[in-house]
Amino acid sequence: MVMIEYSYAPQFMDLGAFQPINKWLDEKTFIELYGDAALGWCAADGQIYGTPQDSGAIAMFYRQDLFDQYGLTVPKTRKELIEQARKFKQVAPSNLKYYAPPIGNTMWWIGQVWMAGGKLFDYHDGNWYIHFTNPIAVEVFETLGACFDEGIFDLEMWWNADWFNSLNQGTTAVVENGSWFAEWLRYNAPESEGKWRVAIPPQWNPAKPTNGMLGGSGFYVSSHSKNPEAAAIFVNWLNSHPNSLKCLHNYSNLPIMVSTRYEEVLDEVSGPDAFFGGQNIVETLWEAHELVNTTFVVLPIMSNVDESLSLLIQEYVDGKIKRFADILPRWEKQVISTMKEFGYSNMITGKLP
Amino acid sequence: MTDEMKNIKMQEIMGKKKVSKRTVATIKAYLFLAPFLLLFSTMVIYPIALGVKLSLYGQRGARMWYIGFQNFATIFQDSRFWESFRIPLFLLLVQVPLMIFIATLIAFSYERLQKKGGAFFRFVYYLPYTIPGIVTGIIWSYIFSDGMSPFRTVIDLLGYSGTKILTRQHLPSILLVIILWAFTGYTAFIIYSSLISIPKEFSEQAQLDGATFWQIAFKIKVPLLKGVFIPLFIFNAIGAIQVFNEPWMLSKLVILPSNYTPAMYIYNSAFAQGRFTYAAAMGLILAFLTFLISLYVLRSAAKQMLAGDSQ
Repeated sequence: MVMIEYSYAPQFMDLGAFQPINKWLDEKTFIELYGDAALGWCAADGQIYGTPQDSGAIAMFYRQDLFDQYGLTVPKTRKELIEQARKFKQVAPSNLKYYAPPIGNTMWWIGQVWMAGGKLFDYHDGNWYIHFTNPIAVEVFETLGACFDEGIFDLEMWWNADWFNSLNQGTTAVVENGSWFAEWLRYNAPESEGKWRVAIPPQWNPAKPTNGMLGGSGFYVSSHSKNPEAAAIFVNWLNSHPNSLKCLHNYSNLPIMVSTRYEEVLDEVSGPDAFFGGQNIVETLWEAHELVNTTFVVLPIMSNVDESLSLLIQEYVDGKIKRFADILPRWEKQVISTMKEFGYSNMITGKLP
Repeated sequence: MTDEMKNIKMQEIMGKKKVSKRTVATIKAYLFLAPFLLLFSTMVIYPIALGVKLSLYGQRGARMWYIGFQNFATIFQDSRFWESFRIPLFLLLVQVPLMIFIATLIAFSYERLQKKGGAFFRFVYYLPYTIPGIVTGIIWSYIFSDGMSPFRTVIDLLGYSGTKILTRQHLPSILLVIILWAFTGYTAFIIYSSLISIPKEFSEQAQLDGATFWQIAFKIKVPLLKGVFIPLFIFNAIGAIQVFNEPWMLSKLVILPSNYTPAMYIYNSAFAQGRFTYAAAMGLILAFLTFLISLYVLRSAAKQMLAGDSQ
């Protein structure tokens, strides 16, 4: 079996790298154990190929010390997030950032659209649907874009020494990332102990709360597996048995597991967390996870989708693109042309299923 | 048996002995060569052969099928592949000549300082070459990072706080600095080794005629160093065409297209986009181009030398 991030699993399904395990794990049991949405991460065309492990539910990580120092409150909606950013920029020194999304990291941007309850593409009945310029995605890019254009949100390269340093030193007040980021912070920004807190990400539509994911991985049975039955039973036990879930939480540094049975061990594994100033973050992250009610299937050419967006954002940073929101239609055009170049004739553009 | 027959018999035996001696020597030679041949065939010949084979296949995931030379035909129309030669071309035309020039000046300084701590400078300038390219890339990515750069304070003091140090526009010049830093000392060392083997009589004669040190250096010694400049140019040209480590490491600081250099494009095609057979074909074309450049430099150098001899 293989462990693969949900977003990248569909392209392996498409290539025939996994084998179906429906014989040993039927759809009804799967939904009972992992929920409806998870089916989209582990199955295609009715064939189940594996089981989901950890959740990449998006959460808002913020610096309580900076919030206190500059008199900020925890934003509950996107509107509040923008208001708080504007306030912060007025009072804080110019080297401090309130909210600085990544240059690149397509999954982060996809997560934003997902969080708003939208999609950019989908797979249905053997066809790839591509429609970036749909109303929800446009709203996300227009709203975030206006903040970049105004200068109240920043853009920065993530996952390099500079970024790690900024998290440790506290030069960025708010980071939105997958639940797994909690453990990541603990180990990589040790000097910031006690200063971080976690919250449900500010909602796009507070009347209809939703959330998206960023990362998270499943275990899939490879088509090379000589004993698919044993593999199927194992991946199911691994990701749904309470004892296994407890071990995964305690030893694998994964805060939240997807299985509905995680609730049974939640009290045992959660509690006040010193790194997060005594907050019970597992409870908050579980809440964030429960808001994920849709699935997001990504295209089978993710590395190209990523390169295309990364370069466009870099062009915006370099001043070659003036309005951030103009990136979306250009990104769509490039992705469609790459899909064609890679020989995907089963593509429907301009609408979603 | 007559004496004559005895002689013939002896000759036959001797001859046989001679043959077997030669055979033994051959076997011995191959035994000595065996470790090299084994490594060479498994680590060089076999991958090349496999690369050639792969380049003739189409691929989608784990499925592969024979397509003949179609990959090569596609590459000739793939503008992204040919665009990737911009950086190597820049390095070939700017970095390589510049570095050989600076290294020559340094080599002459070594010669001048022979008894005044020359060995110390040779050692210090050589040091960067001993650091692996990837490590060099990491160190420089700290130096050029926005928040942690040691130059940050100076830049801020000069009134440029908030200015990005590393941008995509600056990148070619930054690559130039890194590569010059890493390889100039080594190149100077090689030039210096040739320099000290030039017979003293040449410079002594010129000195008697009143030539200065730098006149002797550029008018007498530099032309004699041609033999070392040519291989240096070829090696550095190969390095320029295959440049990968430095831009790869800096791509953590600034977004670079996957085809920033040919080697990056090949790597990304194989490992990010899963197009292994296409990448293999591009690898072969890159190797062939490198071979052509080396051949061209060698041939034109040989022509020049022959012309020089006949004068």
